[in-house]
Amino acid sequence: MNAFLYGVALQWKLDIRSKSLLVTCYVVPLIFFLLMGGIFTSVMPDMKDTLIPSMIVMGVSMGAFIGLPPSLIETYGSDIKKVYKANGVPLYLGLITMAISAFVHLMMMCIIIVLLAPILFEAALPSDLPIFFMALAVYVIVSLSIGSILGLVVKNQAKLTMIAQLVFLPSIMLSGIMFPIELLPKTFELVGEIFPASWGYKLMIDDGFQIENMWYLILVLGAAIIVCGLLLRKQKSN
Amino acid sequence: MNKAIQIDCLRKSYGGHTVLKEISFQIEKGEIFALLGINGAGKTTALECIEGLKKYESGTITVNGTMGIQLQSSSLPAHIKPMEAMRLFSKWNNVKIDDTLIHSLGLWEIEKKQYGQLSAGQKRRLHLALALVSNPDIIFLDEPTAGLDVEGRLSLHNQIRKLKSQGKTVVLASHDMAEVETLCDRIAILNDGKIVFCGTASELTDTIGKKYFIHIKTERGTETIEADSIEDVLLSLLGELKQKGIKVLDIKVDKGTLEQHFMEIARRVEK
Repeated sequence: MNAFLYGVALQWKLDIRSKSLLVTCYVVPLIFFLLMGGIFTSVMPDMKDTLIPSMIVMGVSMGAFIGLPPSLIETYGSDIKKVYKANGVPLYLGLITMAISAFVHLMMMCIIIVLLAPILFEAALPSDLPIFFMALAVYVIVSLSIGSILGLVVKNQAKLTMIAQLVFLPSIMLSGIMFPIELLPKTFELVGEIFPASWGYKLMIDDGFQIENMWYLILVLGAAIIVCGLLLRKQKSN
Repeated sequence: MNKAIQIDCLRKSYGGHTVLKEISFQIEKGEIFALLGINGAGKTTALECIEGLKKYESGTITVNGTMGIQLQSSSLPAHIKPMEAMRLFSKWNNVKIDDTLIHSLGLWEIEKKQYGQLSAGQKRRLHLALALVSNPDIIFLDEPTAGLDVEGRLSLHNQIRKLKSQGKTVVLASHDMAEVETLCDRIAILNDGKIVFCGTASELTDTIGKKYFIHIKTERGTETIEADSIEDVLLSLLGELKQKGIKVLDIKVDKGTLEQHFMEIARRVEK
């Protein structure tokens, strides 16, 4: 347990030293929040009610799909994974420590948004903060599970940049965080439903923490855990 | 039990290519043992099978003792600092860090640097320290001095000798003949997935036969001639040179380096 906690704390520090994770988990999401928060609330004042969940969906998607996978590739696409085997440490431990560390970073970024949005843009705070953070935690975990698959499947950074965008962009454009989903053609609306971002967004808005908005996320999480398990098993047998 | 490691009929393939063709050898406790071979001979694969890092198709591997593995460079995250890695490894192995290990390998000097900023020599020292964290009985070193300068090599050689003096078994993979010749008690030569020789350096010389290398320096330059008998070759050579009026400046005779023997073994296997 001691080793596990030290591993998580160390990973958290390594993530801070790694500029790429800082950029994807803090710098870009917060700059996007500052820019789009100003634009959205000026152009569409109604968005003040949903600014916090929408900016959080964007930030979490970026951190999970673009920020986490490179760390995983650094470990599982290289000789670093041998370090685990050589010390009799289960291979999944690296994935878990990296995911927990990313979870903490993303939650911190979200807290910054929750604190700043009402001050800067008069955005409405969620009516029930504990429920909001529970919904947020579910969405972060599901997003990180998808990011984990990307990091375990893709073997090099160049390919990852391309493939991560294929998950990230539709998540942002088709989830309803930029504009009401009803304005989209039906096909796009259906495609948007495939990505967890739209479900996460629905889960985080007031009175959205319902099983009808959560079942799909739980399903995706379950599937992602199985896929990650299989991918790690394959790595172990190699 | 004097065997630290016993390998019997170890076989390993990648796809359709067999890298280890049922190799067998044993390593005694407390010796420095080298696996020699050119790049691609199967040294690292053999080591990784013994270390438990790779699976193999058939054969048996018996290891008597705890293992410490010095991995090759680039096997740590770029942003980790040496002491952080040491702490992590010690926690994984549930042991305390031995301060003398840190001092003897000079890790304090580099404690503020991140792994990606370390020189090749500093990385090697750190990897050796990490391999020794759990005070193992058997230490595996894969190309321990590759990419090191002379000072770094000598320092690492001293560390390896120190391990032997502490009763540890050291197994190293290398393609550096000079290193193996000066460090190791016994060697196994891997060629094309087979052990073509296993024994001491002097036994290797005997296996090759009474081959001599005559280095003759004349006013026209230096020439090296391989010969099974010194007298016959040298006498006829000197006679020939005298006849041509070429002045001999120096003559040296030796039994060749390990490298030359290795090349000879490899040549014989190819035939």
